[in-house]
Amino acid sequence: MMKIEAIIQPSRFESVKDALREIGIEGMTVTEVRGHGRQKGHTEVYRGREYTVDLLPKLKLEMVLPDPLVQRAVDTILKTAKTGKIGDGKIFLSRVEEAIRIRNEERGENAL
Amino acid sequence: MTTAAHPGLDPANRPEKIMQGSLTPLSVLGPQAEDERQRIRKKFEAGGSAQETLNALCELADRIALQIFGEVLRVHNAAPQGLGLVALGGYGRRLLFPYSDLDILFLFGNEKAETDFRPLIAEFSRTLWDLGFRVSSAGRTLEECKRIEEDNAEFHLALLDRRFLAGDEELFERLTKKVLLGPEKQARPFMLAEVTKLTRERHARYGNTIYHLEPNVKDAPGGLRDYQAAAWLRQIVNGQKEGLKNTAGEEELAANAVDFLSAIRCFLHYSNARNDNTLTYELQSAAAERSLGVFDGSARNVKRSPEEWMRLYFRQARVLNRLLLRYIEQRPAAQPSFRKRLLSVARGPRSEIGKGKPFAVRDGLLEVVDEPALSDRQVTFALFTEAARTGVPLSREAERAIAYILKHPELPQKNTQVNWATLREILSSDYPSMALRSMQRLSLLIDVLPEFKVIDSLVVRDFYHRYTVDEHSLRTIEHLQELAEPPDERAAHFRQLWKTVERRDLLILALLLHDVGKGMAVENHVTGSLEALESAATRLRLSEYETAEVHFLIEHHLDMSATVQRRDIFDPGTVSVFADTVATQERLQRLCLMTYADIHAVNPEALTPWKAEMLWQLFVATSNHFSRTLDRDRLHASDEVSLLEEVSRQAGGASKAEVERFLEGFPRRYRSVHTAAEITAHFLLYRKLGTEPVQTELSARHHSFSLTLLTADRPALFATISGVLAGWGMNIVKADAFANAAGVVLDTFQFIDLHHTLELNPSEIERFQKGLADVVNGKAPLEPLLKARESASRARPPKVAVETRLNYDDTSSAQSTLLEIMAQDRPGLLYDIGSALARLGCNIDVALIDTEGQKAIDVFYLTERGKKLSLPKQELLREVLQSMLT
Repeated sequence: MMKIEAIIQPSRFESVKDALREIGIEGMTVTEVRGHGRQKGHTEVYRGREYTVDLLPKLKLEMVLPDPLVQRAVDTILKTAKTGKIGDGKIFLSRVEEAIRIRNEERGENAL
Repeated sequence: MTTAAHPGLDPANRPEKIMQGSLTPLSVLGPQAEDERQRIRKKFEAGGSAQETLNALCELADRIALQIFGEVLRVHNAAPQGLGLVALGGYGRRLLFPYSDLDILFLFGNEKAETDFRPLIAEFSRTLWDLGFRVSSAGRTLEECKRIEEDNAEFHLALLDRRFLAGDEELFERLTKKVLLGPEKQARPFMLAEVTKLTRERHARYGNTIYHLEPNVKDAPGGLRDYQAAAWLRQIVNGQKEGLKNTAGEEELAANAVDFLSAIRCFLHYSNARNDNTLTYELQSAAAERSLGVFDGSARNVKRSPEEWMRLYFRQARVLNRLLLRYIEQRPAAQPSFRKRLLSVARGPRSEIGKGKPFAVRDGLLEVVDEPALSDRQVTFALFTEAARTGVPLSREAERAIAYILKHPELPQKNTQVNWATLREILSSDYPSMALRSMQRLSLLIDVLPEFKVIDSLVVRDFYHRYTVDEHSLRTIEHLQELAEPPDERAAHFRQLWKTVERRDLLILALLLHDVGKGMAVENHVTGSLEALESAATRLRLSEYETAEVHFLIEHHLDMSATVQRRDIFDPGTVSVFADTVATQERLQRLCLMTYADIHAVNPEALTPWKAEMLWQLFVATSNHFSRTLDRDRLHASDEVSLLEEVSRQAGGASKAEVERFLEGFPRRYRSVHTAAEITAHFLLYRKLGTEPVQTELSARHHSFSLTLLTADRPALFATISGVLAGWGMNIVKADAFANAAGVVLDTFQFIDLHHTLELNPSEIERFQKGLADVVNGKAPLEPLLKARESASRARPPKVAVETRLNYDDTSSAQSTLLEIMAQDRPGLLYDIGSALARLGCNIDVALIDTEGQKAIDVFYLTERGKKLSLPKQELLREVLQSMLT
């Protein structure tokens, strides 16, 4: 089992979600996050007042998947979240030791 | 049945040995109790009333409790002297819901009795529990009952419903007639305060509204707990001389509402097999299917959709909620009935209202001091307007007085038609919802805006919204109102917008109507809402401009949140497309506020700080787009076919070529900020330029004047006009300057008549216009005017110091250099800036003048001999302005 954490542009979320659903991935956790990597914030001026946008809004998707699905999921996210510009986001992969369903204590991939 | 609620009925668990030697062992009592419960349930499900069901359940509990108590005493060989069993709370009131707790107080004569009886009551409680009763018990000695436990008001409230059950009856008598007599009287203020406090906390947990999509019929506002709290208040207060009074009609309404809600609560308990009082979507359908709570024979047979049935629910909940809130507000006073007061006035000669208004503020609430005056609907609406203006809500008593008149058409009534001017005054106030809430409760909102009726208490099932459609709509308005004092950080950005937005009334009207389509049989609710607007606009006689603006907001009310969530708002392309849809700064401001409010009112968590931030980003980007690209696009009159036709028609058949010459080369913004009618008016002025080279038009607007001036371009024109206005003591708050291809300049100035010169002396208006034309034409000098003003106005130190800032932007416009100036606002400021610009040979292509409190925010699009300003010129200008403004 692997955990995928993908930080993406909010505007790409619907497409990414739909594409993942097409390959059979429906369950995920979505969090509204803010941050910046090399795409630094910028300054806007509104009515004479400077207004700094330090941290840009992004969405974080998290999902834990059985190994055979991981590569397809990563490919799908790459394909749908990419606009080719700075600020498209990142994908992090990490290994997951165990998953347990709280309701019936099922373990392993059955619990996903 | 073996459930968590009836744990003891599992045969494996029956502790029969404790009842050895008793007449009726658990193995017999258990099934007997269960059979009886089933019989009661069947009767209810066959259409029995809630009242019968609750009483039957209570009788069953009484019978079993008595029997067990007797047997436990016998087994322990004990006499009941010194121990009394007292039923409390709902059980005390003989209203026991199927899965409710059995509240029992063990009352001890003294501490020794408490020690002696402890094992006995443990056994008693356990046995009842094993028989499927959820016992919730408390033990107190008589002495302890004297003390007011300030952290346990719930116990004292439950004690108000006490009922003797079994044991030492004399103990109970002493409790009631001696022990509690003093303390209960003494504790009255405390208890009243506690009921109020507990109610406020409970209501706040449910967002202070009845209108939940899945309401809790016990605890939510309008739930059974409201009725109980009202009953407690009445009980506490009625110990005093002047009680809380209801009319017979009100009593009947409340009794019906209690029956209705009790039936639902029984149904929920039975359906969920536990004490769960949430009326979920599934159970709403099931309840509607069987017309639950409807006992009237013929009405019972009417098939109702879940939505219709829920409306019945909300109607009943409103009754209970209103009753409680009125009690909480009321300071009881012995008064003759409404009818007496009203009829006595109607019959006799009408007494004078008095010098003051027919209403007054008392304890932070608007009270009616002259009830008969309410028969004039204008007075009623003056009351609403007062609430909207001051933010002081109507008291429930005031609403009750209005409701009484409305419900009795035989009483004299006049001026029952409400026009747009009255409604507009309410909608453009600082606290519109203070009035709208009362109007909704009194059904006067749908009187004025019948389109609203289709969403009255309407449940639309989705898992995103939390409230009924009408509640959602009113909440949007409340969220805007709160912006005056932002409750949290996410609101802070939007505060300034709310303070400065123009025509709030149009925004509020759009919010009232934006979701009305959800109650109509249309595929897309926006279509329905627009239809509703059409009918409202016709009936209220909204102007073409007003209708168009509200139409825009309703039609696009989802666009901004869709752009925020589905487009890359940092892409200039996205901003440009969005800006094209919105077209003007004024619309952008209103749409942004509308979106903020609409998301916020979905549920308390819907507007995350993240979303608010995104919304603000899009607003800023679009707003900047407007002011920076303003001169990029110029009108090509020949492309504007419909506008040409319209203006030519409105101008009484002027030649299209002439109209085309006038329009050619104005910035596109000119088209966006003016309606066809306004453009026609400008065109008519333009035609008169041949006879008189300066044309002006002055009109009074909301608290300000608007000046339009047309003339051929000439040096220092903008500065000259600013100077004349300053000379007359006018404070310019907004200005626009446009020029067409033929060099005709159209300036509009919005200014405040600080000294009310024009307002109080209408004859001065003509002199003002003539003086202005003379100065612009060079027939009269400007200096004497300015000198006179200088000596007349004493300089006052500014309240807030604003630092002067000058910024150049050479990239945003292709032809001009943008100069952004932020400085301390003062009379004559614009004249000074304009003169400096003229002296240095800078031509103003476009001017955007705005004022925010004491801060002037001006943007000028400048050219020098048709080109951008050179760097040395920019530096020179900066120096000149900096020294002048600091």
